[in-house]
Amino acid sequence: MKTTVPLLLLIEDDPQFRLLLRTTLESQDYRVLTAAAGRDGLIEARNQRPNLLILDLGLPDIDGQDLIRRLRTWSEVPIIVLSARDQESDITQALDNGADDYLTKPFSTAELMSRIKALLRRVAKLPGGAQEIFLVGELKIELTKRRVFVGEREVHLTPIEFRLLSVLVRNAGFVVTHRQLLEKVWGASYVEHSHYLRIYMGQLRHKIESDPARPRYLLTEAGVGYRLCEEEIQ
Amino acid sequence: MKSISKVTEKKFDRQDSEFSYIYWLWGITVPLLLTLIDWPFRQILTPSNILLVYLLGVFFVAIRFGLWPSILAALVSAAAFAFFFAPPIFSFAIADPENLVGLAVMLLVGAVTSNLAENVRTQTRVAEHRERRAAALYRLSKELAEARLETEIIEIGVRHIHAEFGGLNTFLFSDRNGLVCYPDEPPLDISLLGADLGVAQWVFDNGQMPSTLANATAMYVPLNGSTGTLGVLVLEQVNLPGITLPEQRQLLDTFVNQIVHTLERANLAEKAKDATLKMQAKTLRNSLLSSISHDLRTPLATIVGAASTLETDEERLTKDTRRKLVGAISEEAQRMSELTTKILEMARLEAGEVVLNRQWYAPEEIVGSALRRLDKKLKNRQVNVHMADNLALIHVDAVLLQQVMVNLLDNADKYSPAGLPIDISVGTTPFSLSITVADRGQGIPEGLQQKIFDKFFRIHTESAQSGVGLGLSICRAIVEAHGGEIQVTNRSGGGSMFQLHIPILECPPTIDPEEKD
Repeated sequence: MKTTVPLLLLIEDDPQFRLLLRTTLESQDYRVLTAAAGRDGLIEARNQRPNLLILDLGLPDIDGQDLIRRLRTWSEVPIIVLSARDQESDITQALDNGADDYLTKPFSTAELMSRIKALLRRVAKLPGGAQEIFLVGELKIELTKRRVFVGEREVHLTPIEFRLLSVLVRNAGFVVTHRQLLEKVWGASYVEHSHYLRIYMGQLRHKIESDPARPRYLLTEAGVGYRLCEEEIQ
Repeated sequence: MKSISKVTEKKFDRQDSEFSYIYWLWGITVPLLLTLIDWPFRQILTPSNILLVYLLGVFFVAIRFGLWPSILAALVSAAAFAFFFAPPIFSFAIADPENLVGLAVMLLVGAVTSNLAENVRTQTRVAEHRERRAAALYRLSKELAEARLETEIIEIGVRHIHAEFGGLNTFLFSDRNGLVCYPDEPPLDISLLGADLGVAQWVFDNGQMPSTLANATAMYVPLNGSTGTLGVLVLEQVNLPGITLPEQRQLLDTFVNQIVHTLERANLAEKAKDATLKMQAKTLRNSLLSSISHDLRTPLATIVGAASTLETDEERLTKDTRRKLVGAISEEAQRMSELTTKILEMARLEAGEVVLNRQWYAPEEIVGSALRRLDKKLKNRQVNVHMADNLALIHVDAVLLQQVMVNLLDNADKYSPAGLPIDISVGTTPFSLSITVADRGQGIPEGLQQKIFDKFFRIHTESAQSGVGLGLSICRAIVEAHGGEIQVTNRSGGGSMFQLHIPILECPPTIDPEEKD
């Protein structure tokens, strides 16, 4: 808790949208810096060290993907990517490059607020990593003891199933791309073997979810990846 | 066909020396044979009778084997008559002047009739050739009459020219820059490769054959149409007389003319088709514009109106009114956003830009993510999912297929009363995946069950339900991009049932069993 009020950097080229986000964020008591172009954004990020970065992928001067890659060479600042609709490949690429979360335009500001809060909370938890015990709804996961419960019932997972689940637990609330999951669970040589992921995810859902076709915990972000939900959706 | 091919074989035989050698032999054999036949009757027959028999033989040779063999036959006949029949026998001397006169007359008549017979032969041969050429031309034009595509026409041309003139050949056309080049299509086995493009270019530019082309192995014939030179025919010269004879040249020109006319006709038909398509596109664009302008302007009117009221009269509005106005803005903006998304999606699919990103997915995941996207809308709706537990993975574009599910579920929700359930069922066979979304709404009237997949089609155009009539067209476009089909039927007990089938083209991949660690 170094600073009480988090500093957000917003890189967005559309002036109206920038104004809207700025006022909304300031009304939520965040300090907000804005940049209209990628280069200015990079300079601001270096000089002001914001706590979180909101980045529009379609910038006039430099490619948003490129900006993320450059930023990630020296900074761990959480990044939320804003993207125009129907560009799953862009989103996936941004996440693989190191962005932490994404929103597709148009989105409600409430949604943005909850993503910002979740990201800042995750940063605050670090460097201890995820908690030992993860709880959501009826699901309870004890990471070091490698035990998983649904309600009172203990669920037995295979080692790979558990590895898959624990990667999602460590990123609970955030989307993890297919590539990231394949790399972390099976290894770098498996990143093209997406069917492994589908099969194990199916198995995992059948063990954890009461209705695997309408999952409560293990959510699919079509074309992008999976998200373990942190707060149960009603 | 058999008779035609026989004629084709005979076509250049008069140049054939092997045959005329046998013809000469006939010229000797026939008189000798007649001598043998006449010999036993030499006491009964008068010399003039025998001369007539010889004359018959000469005439026969003239008709069958031509002028010169028949003259030979006449000479041999004269010799045989003098030797065997005209006293003194066994001597070429002829004692009786009457016989001498008879012999002279026979030679004369033989020469004249031979000449006449030769003329008849020539006429027949010319007629045969003419008929054969007419038949070849008929076959070409018959096939050309049925051809529609440029490639078809060219293929027919190459085939017929090869059959008639015996040489490998090819048609060269110019590219966009006016440079003659080989066609993109793979060559036939009778296509000529290795034409001199430089010569072809010259012929194409000048629209005429080069006057001198020393030791050329191929002929370059311009395809001159009514609007200029369309291309160049390059024909290998394997059978020189077959091409250089004036009649054959004429035939080649007629062939080329036929092909050129057919090509021009095909081009015109193509242009007419383009024009029709453009017209259709224009009509579609107009209906798109009117649809978009209606569906986007209505929410925009609300948004602009509410926003300006808030802007100018903020002080005077009650808190409740303000909240209502803000609610209206947000709701209408949401509606506009949905419409825009659909319009863009359709435009993207229409533009043919969509390349399927096929990957292996679990069917339940596709249904699950679609249901989650509609979480808020379907909050108070009973949705039953019927699905086997361990469905095989399918190789599809999950994002697009999820869009199909969202559109179908959204429709089911919009067009069926709130309390009634929506049923989803998913099944796979080794060959296809089928998904059904069924509601308990009013169903689709008979006769409209195909139309509802058309763009901008809505059963009630000005209904309260928002929508541009694109959702189902998007569904169809996506399903068809997967090689599948989608249809709607009315359910027994009321409601409509949308059913889609997607063929499974590949077996699902297997994974290595998990090792214990």
